[in-house]
Amino acid sequence: MAFGTRWIKIVKDVWSYRSRSILVILSIVVGVATVGMINNAGRIIQRDLYGEFRSGDPAHLQLYISPFQKELATSVKGMREVGEVEARRSLDASIQTKNSEWEDLDLYISPDVSDIKVNRFRLVSGIQKPGVREVLLERQSALELGIGVGDEITIKMPNDRLYLLRVVGIIHDVYIMPMAILGKATAYISMDTLVWLGERPYYNQLDIIAYGGVPDKDSALKLGALIRDRVIEPAGYMVYNIRIPGVGSNPGDHWGHNQIKGFLLILQIMGILAVFLSGGLVVNIVSAILTQQIKQIGIMRSFGAVRWQLAGMYLVKIIFLSLVGLVIALPLGLLGAWWLSEFAAGFLNFNVGIVDLPIKIILLQVALGLLMPVAIALFPVISGTRISVYDAIYQYGLSGDEGGWLNRLLAKIRQLSPTIALSLRNTFRKKVRLTFTLITLTLAGAMFISAFSTRASLTSQIKDIGRYSLFDAELSIPVGASRFTVEREALRIPDVTIAEGWAKSVGVLVGADGKDSAEFELVGLPYDSITIDPLMIDGNWLNDSGSQQMVINQDFLEDIPGIRVGDQVTIKVGDRKRSFEVVGVVSKHLSGPRVYMDNKSYDRLTGRQNQVDLVRVVVLAGKPSKHVVQDKISDLLKDRFENASLNTGSSTTQYQFLNYFSDVFNIILIVLVIMASILAIVGGLGLSGSMGMNVIERTREIGVLRAVGASNAVVRQVVVIEGIVVGLISWLLGAFVSAPSGWALASAVIFAVLKTQPRYEYSIAGMMVWLALVVLIGIFSSLAPAYNAARLRVRDVLDYE
Amino acid sequence: MNDPLTYTNQLIESFPSGVKSSEPIILLGDVAKIYQTAAGRFIALDGINLKIYSGEFVSIVGKSGSGKTTLINMLTGIDRPTSGEVFVNGSALHDMSEGEIAIWRGANLGVVFQFFQLLPTLTIIENVMLPMDMCNIYTGNQRQERARHLLHLVGLDGYDEQFPNRLSGGQQQSAAIARALANDPPILATDEPTGNLDSGAAENVLCLFDNLSKEGKTILMVTHDQDLASRAGRIIQIVDGVIANSF
Repeated sequence: MAFGTRWIKIVKDVWSYRSRSILVILSIVVGVATVGMINNAGRIIQRDLYGEFRSGDPAHLQLYISPFQKELATSVKGMREVGEVEARRSLDASIQTKNSEWEDLDLYISPDVSDIKVNRFRLVSGIQKPGVREVLLERQSALELGIGVGDEITIKMPNDRLYLLRVVGIIHDVYIMPMAILGKATAYISMDTLVWLGERPYYNQLDIIAYGGVPDKDSALKLGALIRDRVIEPAGYMVYNIRIPGVGSNPGDHWGHNQIKGFLLILQIMGILAVFLSGGLVVNIVSAILTQQIKQIGIMRSFGAVRWQLAGMYLVKIIFLSLVGLVIALPLGLLGAWWLSEFAAGFLNFNVGIVDLPIKIILLQVALGLLMPVAIALFPVISGTRISVYDAIYQYGLSGDEGGWLNRLLAKIRQLSPTIALSLRNTFRKKVRLTFTLITLTLAGAMFISAFSTRASLTSQIKDIGRYSLFDAELSIPVGASRFTVEREALRIPDVTIAEGWAKSVGVLVGADGKDSAEFELVGLPYDSITIDPLMIDGNWLNDSGSQQMVINQDFLEDIPGIRVGDQVTIKVGDRKRSFEVVGVVSKHLSGPRVYMDNKSYDRLTGRQNQVDLVRVVVLAGKPSKHVVQDKISDLLKDRFENASLNTGSSTTQYQFLNYFSDVFNIILIVLVIMASILAIVGGLGLSGSMGMNVIERTREIGVLRAVGASNAVVRQVVVIEGIVVGLISWLLGAFVSAPSGWALASAVIFAVLKTQPRYEYSIAGMMVWLALVVLIGIFSSLAPAYNAARLRVRDVLDYE
Repeated sequence: MNDPLTYTNQLIESFPSGVKSSEPIILLGDVAKIYQTAAGRFIALDGINLKIYSGEFVSIVGKSGSGKTTLINMLTGIDRPTSGEVFVNGSALHDMSEGEIAIWRGANLGVVFQFFQLLPTLTIIENVMLPMDMCNIYTGNQRQERARHLLHLVGLDGYDEQFPNRLSGGQQQSAAIARALANDPPILATDEPTGNLDSGAAENVLCLFDNLSKEGKTILMVTHDQDLASRAGRIIQIVDGVIANSF
């Protein structure tokens, strides 16, 4: 049976007008591949990262304790509420790189490295049980430092002594932040090696798995408090901190769970947007195809073709192009998913398993790649094939109408040159098409500016957080020390002009019913501290009035709601309690629930007279030093305190503290900008399609222009200016829409990463960058149609079929 | 279904030259066409009454803007009258919807345009076969044979696989005529069919119309050229939307 001629026409049309066919295919590929990539990568990341994480028995909580022996772990394990316990020692050191520079190093010691019960790592190469003078290196640290099994490394201990260790194994630990994020290498040694390194043999951390799991953070923290009260403190040890591993994670969740979730959510939103925009593009291009074929449709109707036959022809064409797009998009999406998973794996330090394509995602892509284009193409196909023979043959190419009220309004502007006037009026002649094009470009612009606004908001947020860390270096003093000694020693460091001792404890609020609230961190500091510039949400900061004052933060209010400025509350630390007036509320700053009071009030409450638990030092008040200076001061501070026989913990600088967040945010922002750029490309393609259609429809007008003396440049100018005007209108609309969309995106990102509401900042810079881009898009999208228009000869155009 | 060649021969035999049937194949009753424009009301056709019989070769002649194209658009269903009745081959076009007219046109009317209007991506034979595909009057196997026959009829043997842009204007118009005859309609309507042709090609087209008329087809030809019009068996002169003369 002969293949119907109408189908031959469709096949030949696909090839003959291949630029449009390719555009339709590309539009479908962009949307479908993006959705496939994001969905599949998200699935793979969750499967492999979380699967790997859960399989090693992750800790529900961690207790930081004064020096203890492993028998304490055994005692804690005896509690029926506890499932498993692992004692651990962690200390800071430095490792020498191949360039002879020093990188920070976290050293971990467990009782039996080959038999870890909690947060179990895996051996990648070499042996798992290091002997004396031997070390296991975390694989990402090994990769970053270029070190392998058998290599010797030089480490520097806090006492500045250097030691040579041999790497006997590379292990993979998903429970610590990798070097790419943390900025620190990680290594594991035995207790014997620790002793050989000149350190005292003790542990300082317990990793705990609750028996039967814990439903939420509160339960985990309550368990920690129980362990502390029932076993640890009665045994004569101090608990410095009870925390849930991760950044705002739930017990047992991956340390980056919330951030990853937020990141994937943002990608999903972008993916959905890409689908909408590619759908808009399909409508645009299908309309262009039909516009190009209007006369042919009219001719076919003149010899008997009915609407359903014509619509069927073009829908089959769409189906064919969709199938081609799908065939390309499926493997492309899979490739993209592999790339994204590998990128995440490199960053988050996990192994990507099989990169497969489950049936659910295939079906989703088929629905998007096949059903959606056909469904949305119905509108232009039905309206395009509805045209009468008369309109198709006689009304094509020279529009008789003057363009409506808008064009009449534009006609009142007298000072414009005819070329610009023509371009301006041409812009508004096809309002439906203009609307479609504007929707695509406006959405692209809104997302682009929103990405920039999110960046600005994040930067602002980091600055806000930074207000609570206005120091050059901070050193923790785990067992506490005299304020005077601490501040004196700190001021002895060259260039340091200010030293502040802060004290920390854990407190509870005693309710009106006598019950204790959830625990919070209690901080005693100078009321006029210059290392903190709190963002007051309500009330005032502490003053020297002499009354018992306290300031709470918003995290505190979330845990213990109903407290207001002016309230009198009772705070209890251990057995001691006192009444305080709440004088102010400060913003969240990643500290968790916290109460601030001046040193004197703190001392009276806790009974710890003039004892501090950390020191902050500053070179120049109000002006943070360069990060190399901060690093140097941090090292000097630690050395100074060691020499003064003061027990020191970890030190940090403001730069290190803020840099961590910047690194995480930068990754998110790079991806956001890439996605926004894809949307911009889609928007540009839409404009290109529209401009092409406009030129086709005005072919006779262009012929008339040429006949009355318009040069090639003038003809091109008319088209390009129209493209620029469309771009500028979309910019205005996009700038307007980006205000709420930017707020929504910034909120989603900041809440995901920081668990706090954003301080939204609209990016004027983003708006201006988009302005420049959209003008370029307008120009480049119009160039090809403009060139085609200028190439037409008058005779050909006026005989145009 | 008959073999197309046999059918055509039978057609020729049943309609010797110049014979008209007793009832008009085209009947216009008081047809008017009025356009409402921004400049006001424009009467393109005013009270047209017309009868055309089967097998006639009729030319509709008039100056530019006289309404001749509007008139032929009424007869082909491409345009609709503002008032009046249009009957073509027993069908009341003025009462039919756009879709109904399209179906009707496929079987009853062949239209030949001034600018040929061949589909550029199809070969000549595919252009001729396309109307058969739309109307489904001939089986798949019959279509190609009939298309070749029609191309032979119009003198385009050997041009089957050529694309329209490879043909001269005259050849393209001949191909358009072959396409118009694809479903063997009784009526052929042409608007300025020789407008874009040189005299030689024009003469070929006119001879073709003569032959078709002798075969019993009703030929309607719109032209502004009086000499061309005189080649038809009957001339209808239209001036300012009214039939001034019919001879």
